[in-house]
Amino acid sequence: MSLLPPVIQLQQMTEEPSPNVQEIQFWLDKMVAWGRADSPNIQRDVSLHLRRLSSYLQQLLTHINNLISTTETMKRMPLLGQFLGRLCWIPYVTADDTSRGLLFQCLWGLYSEHPSNAVERKANQWIRKVLCQLTTDEDDAAAQALMKPMGVPPNEYHLKVLRKMVALLQENIGKSCSSLGNINQRCSCDSILAASEACVPLATCPEAAPLIDALLQRPATCVRAALSEDFLDALSCAYSRQNLSLEEQAVFSLWHHSLSSLEVAVLSLLESVCTNTGSTPQRMLQQVSQSLLPKACAQQCSIFLVVNDIFRSTLKQAEGNECVKSLIQIFTNCFLTELALLQPQKCVSLKAFFPQSPQSLLVPLSTLPSEMPQEAWEHHLNWLSGSLQRLTEDEEEGDGDGDSSSSTSRGHHRVFEAWFLLVQCAHWVQVTVQLLGTKGPEDCGPLLWLLTFYHHPTNRGHHRALQLVHAKDAWDRLHTLFSVSTSPPFDRLQSLVTLLSPQPQQPSLSPSFILGLSVNFAVFSQQPLSGSTQVLQTVVHRSGLVEEAACALSSLELRLNAGSCSSSDANRVHLRIKSLQNTLTHMHAAWSPAESQAHTLTHTHIKFN
Amino acid sequence: METLLKNVSSTAELLAVSARSGALEQWDGHALSRAFHWARYGEHLFRRFHSDPAVRTAMEKQLQLTNQSLRAALPGYTDVSFCDLSRCQHLLLVGLLNNPELPVSIMRILFGSGSPADTEHSEYVDVTGLCSHIIQCKSACKVLSPLADSSAVGADAEVQGAMLMERLGALMGRGREARRAEHFLDSLLQGCDGASEHFCLVIAAALLTAKNSAAEGAAQDVLQDWLQKTPGVLKLTCSALSASLLAGLAKEHRKFREAYCGVLKTWASDMEYSVHEGEWVQTSTKTCTVTFQKLTEHFLALFETCPTQRDDVERELNALKLSDGDFDVRGLSVWGDLLSALNT
Repeated sequence: MSLLPPVIQLQQMTEEPSPNVQEIQFWLDKMVAWGRADSPNIQRDVSLHLRRLSSYLQQLLTHINNLISTTETMKRMPLLGQFLGRLCWIPYVTADDTSRGLLFQCLWGLYSEHPSNAVERKANQWIRKVLCQLTTDEDDAAAQALMKPMGVPPNEYHLKVLRKMVALLQENIGKSCSSLGNINQRCSCDSILAASEACVPLATCPEAAPLIDALLQRPATCVRAALSEDFLDALSCAYSRQNLSLEEQAVFSLWHHSLSSLEVAVLSLLESVCTNTGSTPQRMLQQVSQSLLPKACAQQCSIFLVVNDIFRSTLKQAEGNECVKSLIQIFTNCFLTELALLQPQKCVSLKAFFPQSPQSLLVPLSTLPSEMPQEAWEHHLNWLSGSLQRLTEDEEEGDGDGDSSSSTSRGHHRVFEAWFLLVQCAHWVQVTVQLLGTKGPEDCGPLLWLLTFYHHPTNRGHHRALQLVHAKDAWDRLHTLFSVSTSPPFDRLQSLVTLLSPQPQQPSLSPSFILGLSVNFAVFSQQPLSGSTQVLQTVVHRSGLVEEAACALSSLELRLNAGSCSSSDANRVHLRIKSLQNTLTHMHAAWSPAESQAHTLTHTHIKFN
Repeated sequence: METLLKNVSSTAELLAVSARSGALEQWDGHALSRAFHWARYGEHLFRRFHSDPAVRTAMEKQLQLTNQSLRAALPGYTDVSFCDLSRCQHLLLVGLLNNPELPVSIMRILFGSGSPADTEHSEYVDVTGLCSHIIQCKSACKVLSPLADSSAVGADAEVQGAMLMERLGALMGRGREARRAEHFLDSLLQGCDGASEHFCLVIAAALLTAKNSAAEGAAQDVLQDWLQKTPGVLKLTCSALSASLLAGLAKEHRKFREAYCGVLKTWASDMEYSVHEGEWVQTSTKTCTVTFQKLTEHFLALFETCPTQRDDVERELNALKLSDGDFDVRGLSVWGDLLSALNT
């Protein structure tokens, strides 16, 4: 393929970093040791080194593939053939999916399609022979002599033996601890560590899954029943690559045993939800429940605390990220649902799950709107708003008075925790927007305060009062727009578009604040549908927030379907949502969102300091 | 029927082609997949008809004819028997892997392990990574075998015992025909030349499998009857297996218990007192070497596992001691010395 003269090719190759010669000697010695005997020490050494061996094989593979011929490779690495040959006969290596795959790829890398000399022909023959022997050689001639007349093919026989061994070990592991806490007495727990070490190469072997399940789910009654760290690492790694089929409870145990595997699971959920820009609330809900994390959190408080810590710090880094906020809300909702499904005797008190949250707000916020009569919502929200307002005023009072910095930061911490709880239980924020979109011009001060606090938790520059004025003004304008039955004048629409566009000078209201309100007005107002559609369509189109509006609509739909709106109005509301969704979908198809301001909405960085 | 016989012939031809022919050069993933599909069909034929004497005989005849013509056409051809049909996929694989003409692209499919490079072959799901999976399974057995020591006979013998039970059950059929089962056991014994001790272990494992149905109970009955009719195997079983394992078998099976006690008594009666060694020793070296101490251990293990047997056995031993003159002097009667050894 290359047009370079061979000399230059060779020169280039000498610059390739080739795997260390000493390293191959190190691994060769290891393979000699591993091939020699079955002892617990060897098993421990294998479980410790298996991952490193795979990455070394990966290096070798790259190296082999970069060289032009097998002759060349053999010249550069004379020990390679011997090394790979030994690897083939180490069961720990050939049992492990990753190592076996890499080993075979290395062998294929050495196979010459068109052998040009005796060395290459011999290498080809050797590779064929070794692979054939690996597949068809039988160690136990006596067993095969019996199985043949019984009509049992070797593969089936080996599979049966493997399943039997797994079942025997599983049974053994299921036995309860017999030492009764006496450290000096032998007990069945002694085999746990050895069994978990043996399972390191078998992490992704489907037949070994029952054994792995049993190891993970064994109650930790005895000090000697510890699982090998390498075992947990191997499982965690396989689970994150979705190569693992474990029972639900075993996955929870894995997270319980291995903090890093839990972190990986949470971070990958965050990543999969937030990197996918087209993610709908329905899709998000699906991803969250498929992750099994909410269920694990409900069953094991310690898992919830870790997950929540990760959410907390993610939120601190990107508090204005609507995607993170939605994820946290959906997650908490799933968690609360799972918690409610648990039998009361298994359920730990809510306080244990939320030790840092303001305890007076915990139950009122974590109560789902569907658990309360609709008529009580407004009262409930007014109470919540009042409580949060008092909490923030108390904490912010000393702010800037030259008070000691520690009490200030403690105050910030309390406000943050209150806000974090509100984000987790943002179903009440959604109800707030819904009520604001339905209500006539009565006292909506507390509701507006709550909504403003949700979008602007910090009172930086003491702008909250001003923000509230803006909020009231925006609400008034929206209220008028969605009340008139005639087409609204152009300038009114334009002023709304301006509100939705991010403004350079502080303090402005977050565009998602206005968007949420607009969508709820469009859905819940008594205005004829055509009028609301027109307003929403125009505003959303001009401000480039079509996708975000569609998202807000599906989120609303999701919540209403979940049962928190059961009034006679439900049908009308449902039809309005569907119609608005249709309109937006058509707009979205017709307009490229390339110039939309989406990024400004999802990545507003306001830092808590 | 005619179609079936034709298919049997084709299966044998496929195996012959895979192992010996240069035509393999033309094979691609599709051909490979079809070959394994056909081999699975061969295995199906075996399972379906192996216990149907009429069809089986017809198929065996057909195979003889096919073998004849293939032998003439392909030098070095190995005959395919009806029993070989049960392992068609294995034979196909062995043939392919040993055939130097097998294209390397086919080998890559067989050894592929689902890495991105193999996705191009993903349409042949049944054969992609076939060898890789076989190797994984064998290796996993080796990794776990040092740990799986909780079975009395070993995981492999347990599996073989269970397979034996299954096969005996199928052979006996609904009519509980013991003759066919016994004939099958005879042929197994012949095939086990050089590994008879292993065969005894498998028989023990078969007797230890749980009796879940009347058919399995009947099969275990036949197995015990066969043991009694084959004293060589019975004796070997009693000397090769551990005392506790034998006691466990005796507890589960009356017929075996009686046979076992019979063997123990024969061992005792074959002993004579060696003044030189001050101990009872086996007279004939033809039979297995059992020491007096081992004999005592076997009885003690039996009593421990089946306490109700103690009285009966001791009564018998007492009667034998009586017939020897009922002396309480060491070295005069093996029965008397055995009784005192069992009661110290």
